[in-house]
Amino acid sequence: MDIFLQQLINGLVSGSIYAIVALGYTLVYGILRLINFAHGEIVMLGAMIALSVIGLLTDSGLPGLLIVSLGLLCAIPCCMLIGYLIERIAYRPLRHAPSLTPLITAIGVSIVLQNLAMMIWGKEFISFPPLIDVQYFSISEATINSVQIFIVIVSTLMMTGLNYLVNKTKLGNAMRATAQNAEVAGLMGVNANTIISLTFVIGSALAAVAGMMVTMNYNVAHYDMGFMLGLKAFTAAVLGGIGNLRGAMFGGILLGIIESMGAGYLGTLTNGMFGSNYQDVFAFFTLIGVLIFKPSGLLGKAGGERP
Amino acid sequence: MKLLDVHNLKVHYGGVNAVKGIDFHLNAGEIVALVGANGAGKSSTLRAICKLAPHSGKLFFDGKDLAAVKSHDLVRLGIALVPEGRGIFSDSSVEENLLMGAYIHNDAKIKTDLEKIYTLFPRLKERNQQAAGTLSGGEQQMLALGRALMSRPKLLLLDEPSMGLAPLIVKAIFDVLKQIAADGMTIFLVEQNAGLALELSMRGYVMESGNIVLTDSAPALLQNPQIRAAYLGQ
Repeated sequence: MDIFLQQLINGLVSGSIYAIVALGYTLVYGILRLINFAHGEIVMLGAMIALSVIGLLTDSGLPGLLIVSLGLLCAIPCCMLIGYLIERIAYRPLRHAPSLTPLITAIGVSIVLQNLAMMIWGKEFISFPPLIDVQYFSISEATINSVQIFIVIVSTLMMTGLNYLVNKTKLGNAMRATAQNAEVAGLMGVNANTIISLTFVIGSALAAVAGMMVTMNYNVAHYDMGFMLGLKAFTAAVLGGIGNLRGAMFGGILLGIIESMGAGYLGTLTNGMFGSNYQDVFAFFTLIGVLIFKPSGLLGKAGGERP
Repeated sequence: MKLLDVHNLKVHYGGVNAVKGIDFHLNAGEIVALVGANGAGKSSTLRAICKLAPHSGKLFFDGKDLAAVKSHDLVRLGIALVPEGRGIFSDSSVEENLLMGAYIHNDAKIKTDLEKIYTLFPRLKERNQQAAGTLSGGEQQMLALGRALMSRPKLLLLDEPSMGLAPLIVKAIFDVLKQIAADGMTIFLVEQNAGLALELSMRGYVMESGNIVLTDSAPALLQNPQIRAAYLGQ
């Protein structure tokens, strides 16, 4: 057993975050067939905005938990607005362009946001102030702390909520209809632009929470933290089958666990040749493996992309 | 009273003029057929009415100029289309498809409407939780028709409802159309199958390479020797 349980817990925590970010990719892809590479940057902006608010309030004497909540409550609407504006300004004019054009634009938006963040918050790591009294609990040989428990619970709630929204509500029905055939959905009275904006806004709200969770988990934020995280979450979305919500959730958690197991056992397995710093390689190898045997992803429908 | 009034409608895709300036109208409560061969411009005419194709000319619905109306607002005015190829949402369930038809409504009547559709098409009720893509072609056509009716339209536009379906299924669908028409619905029926369409309709327009070449009452068109030769194979 030794480190197995501990790695499983760590994997579940980082996997929950990947899943939340992956949902943002998959939601947008489902409707627009666009990989929104700027999504990782929204996670970063969520973390940065939250930390700025928290920084301003640190000496206010308010209770720590309240300050953290206020940070998050400011980050969510800011990210929603940013997500909305990105779609409105960068992607909407390219709605009928060949699919490569919006993809390159997405990479451009990502670079712009990253540099903007660097100009605003600098190149230094920003640390999460010790506002919360973190509790540690032991489960046999492993430990889990209150922040990790919080992350898993909040992620589960958000995933359940989103699943309900998309699969059980009228709005969700309209979102799925638009994803399948925007023209016909329009004839039913659905304004596709509204649905697309909403998709970006919902994905960005999730990203803001994910940004906060990453910062709480690792205690730091950095202007380029969105890049690797975004790439991992995208991997998770593809692993589960992009465009499929349950796929993104499953892929995220699976990727987190695989990565964490890789980090834990890679050294022992290779007799010290590869250390835990190879965990990213491990994650991407898994992706390549899955794509060879099931190109549509683990929960994706065979047959690939609709025309 | 004219429910739909079309003046000098032209549809042009790039350099191609699919519809070359046609005039026609539908009175409230009428069933009118637009018949013609493949490529005559029938579907383009429907797509233009639905604001889905680039067009010029004047369109009036219920006295209102449609020039500034967007495609997604047509259903609120009372226009519903059963699209060519059915356009069902294949990953959504049958019931979700029908509820999408009632997207613009928010009242308790949706439930009774749903029951009405299930009475018209009992097969849809049997399969209401199934993904719509698993239905047969005929069932999908019924679903597309049911979905259009869920919006409580004043004008029902049908684009080739008989296409690719077995004669027995076509008969079932046209029987339902007869019932709906008897309730006073205005129907504009675009069909390649001229005989079938004209038997159901009161009037008809015949379209050839982008122009309306003939219009008359449906019984007269069915007796017209030219039509009999060109479209009815007689």
